Amino acid sequence: MRIKGIIFLTVITILGFLISWISIDPIIESEIEYQASVANGALVEIEGLDIDLIDLKIRWDKLQVANPENTMTNTFETGEMELDFLFWPTWWERVIIEDIIFKEFKMDTQRETDGYFEIPEEEKNAEPSFVAQLVGDVTSEISRNASMEFTNIKTNINVDSLMAKLDLQAPEKIDSLRNGLRQNYQKWDSTLSNTDINKEIAKVESTIKAIDIKNIKDPKKAIEAIKNVQRLAKQVDSLKTKATNLKKDFQDDFGDSKFSVGRIDNWIKGDFQRAMSMAKLPTIDPGNIAQSLFGENLLADYSGYLEYVAIARKYGSRLVGDDKEKIERYEGKDYNFTDKYDWPKLWIQNIDLSGETKTAIQLAGQVTNISSNQKKTKEPIKFNIGGKDNANRSMTLTGEFNYLGEEPKENVNFTYDGFGLKGSKISPSSLLPYPLKTGTGEVSASVSIVDKRFDSEIGYKAKGIAFDFGENPSKDRIQQLIRDAVSSTDQINVTALVDNLDGPLKVKVRSNIDDLFVNALKSTVSKEVDRARQKIESRVRNEIGDRKEQLLAFKQEKEAEIRKEYEKLESRVNEEIKKVEEKKKELEKKKKELEDSLKDKIKDRIGIDWK
Amino acid sequence: MFIILKYIAKLLKALSSEASPNQLAGGFILGMIIGMTPVASIHNLIILMLVIILKVNIGMVILAFLVFSGIAYLADPLFHSFGIWILELERMQSTWTSMYDNELWAITKFYNTVVIGSFVSAVLLCIPMFPLTKIGVIQYRKNIHEKVMKTKFAKALKGTKLYSVYQTVVRVRG
Repeated sequence: MRIKGIIFLTVITILGFLISWISIDPIIESEIEYQASVANGALVEIEGLDIDLIDLKIRWDKLQVANPENTMTNTFETGEMELDFLFWPTWWERVIIEDIIFKEFKMDTQRETDGYFEIPEEEKNAEPSFVAQLVGDVTSEISRNASMEFTNIKTNINVDSLMAKLDLQAPEKIDSLRNGLRQNYQKWDSTLSNTDINKEIAKVESTIKAIDIKNIKDPKKAIEAIKNVQRLAKQVDSLKTKATNLKKDFQDDFGDSKFSVGRIDNWIKGDFQRAMSMAKLPTIDPGNIAQSLFGENLLADYSGYLEYVAIARKYGSRLVGDDKEKIERYEGKDYNFTDKYDWPKLWIQNIDLSGETKTAIQLAGQVTNISSNQKKTKEPIKFNIGGKDNANRSMTLTGEFNYLGEEPKENVNFTYDGFGLKGSKISPSSLLPYPLKTGTGEVSASVSIVDKRFDSEIGYKAKGIAFDFGENPSKDRIQQLIRDAVSSTDQINVTALVDNLDGPLKVKVRSNIDDLFVNALKSTVSKEVDRARQKIESRVRNEIGDRKEQLLAFKQEKEAEIRKEYEKLESRVNEEIKKVEEKKKELEKKKKELEDSLKDKIKDRIGIDWK
Repeated sequence: MFIILKYIAKLLKALSSEASPNQLAGGFILGMIIGMTPVASIHNLIILMLVIILKVNIGMVILAFLVFSGIAYLADPLFHSFGIWILELERMQSTWTSMYDNELWAITKFYNTVVIGSFVSAVLLCIPMFPLTKIGVIQYRKNIHEKVMKTKFAKALKGTKLYSVYQTVVRVRG
């Protein structure tokens, strides 16, 4: 035994522990901060990370997650955190965390420094995910809603200025169609007058005339003439086919498939619709009312929730692919006798969370089974967080991100109830500019996404409300109408339904005051809208004038001419066929006569009856 | 470089008469196991500790490690096939499974075909190699050592600056 060797080993072991203990923390801290910042799109900072390899614990003093939309605030921050991890999985480069306790969890806090993070190029170039595209669609729906304003309704629309801006397209398109038709008719005129069918008919005609039946005295000659006529019959048949083909081409050229009055109507309709959209005349129905009043707020919240789902799906699906087995040549093959070590790269089994919201709601809850590969843990991510404050406001957030099956599934439910509405405006729309004197609110949202199909509902309830209309009645006529309509109600329920279950994105916003609004608006505004619409429609039709009728008359006239020409040609061909047939019959009759006379002569001479 | 030269010089010295044939043969088979099996394995850490603790010749460990690393590089496909045969032995399945379920065994990565194949091959090879090395050392001392010391390599080694520095260090250390 080497005593020096034993001492050397002991020293090396102690040194190894010391070095790893001192240097491991900053390395891991910076790696976690980098990866989390990439995932978040803004800075994620950990303060005072401490990794205890003997007790298998990790703790930190503070965690800040910057808000990518406003980098001077944090989406959330936590105070002290402690977690326990399992020892053996670390040998297989796996991190299994049994329990994490987050204390002092706070949302929407101010930062002392800017939380901007430069995202690496490869992350920037990543294709937008389905949920990210959905966020985009919903956002564009919000802007569409925001532009719809009933208060813009004008009683005296300046149609001249509108028409000047509009630049009608239908007249130009109709003129261009007329020119196209004219050229086509010219082509057909020339085709029909220059066709070789006429020349061939003339030739057949002269050949038939040249056959003089009276001068045929010999059956042989008669047979020869019949053969000649049969050839002519074939020729005439081929002329008939040519004529039929011409007719077919003509019908194809001018049939309904290439030209329909419907097309012209669509052009006119298109111009009219553009004029209407420039005039910003709204369609007054319950859906539009609720969308204008509450759509912007509700859908903005909705797209905010979806962004979190997008992040979860993006990283959930990316990490699933990380655990692929890699077998290099001559590195051998691992035999897995049981599934004991079939762990994901990261598995946080339980997070206990406690803290408060910006509005001082004391939150507590659990997030379970965050993992890099759910197929290995066989558990989806589940979360259930909620809390109340002294003023009876409550918040709950529950959900599940399930990537166990073939299709990723996300399900999120959120409610925020009991918040005061006193002094706040219920809608960003100028239709409802009045603050509330009293009332409490409740927001609830449920989003369910299965692969690329999603179904969601956002609800908003304002309970026990009373509007502060001020002293004087509103000067704006529409506002006054709405004011009269809502003054009788003490509750507003709004529901937004967003789904793509039948294909394209559908957004429906409904509320209990829709009918009140519609009734108030319909009695007056509807009439004005209809009048304005009629004005625009009649002006559009005037501008287009009788171009459509002229075009149709021109088409009818030219087509009748060409049809007449064709019919003339067709009748000549048919007449010629008839003549050829008659000539053939005559020749056959003559042939029979000649044959009979020959047989009679033979009978007279040798007494044999050939008949 | 200095360390390698140091151990080559030590090896030549040990081969001549200093170390016992057992120490040399022990070093040889331990170096052979490290060389034949994948280096980054837990069992090699244990063997390395044995090399440090036991009075085996470290020069011989290095020599055997270098020689058998090269052989193992070529023989890995054979170890892989041998490993498959071992791990698929019907009567061993319950043993492998219970070993696999025990983390202490599992970290040796015995369930890898190349690890188990090369390790079992190396251990089996130890049985003839230990006595053969001993015989080899004795025969070397009797018949070859003189000739080796007269070779150009040995002379060149003795002539290098590093070797003279090493000799000085040895003298100073006693």
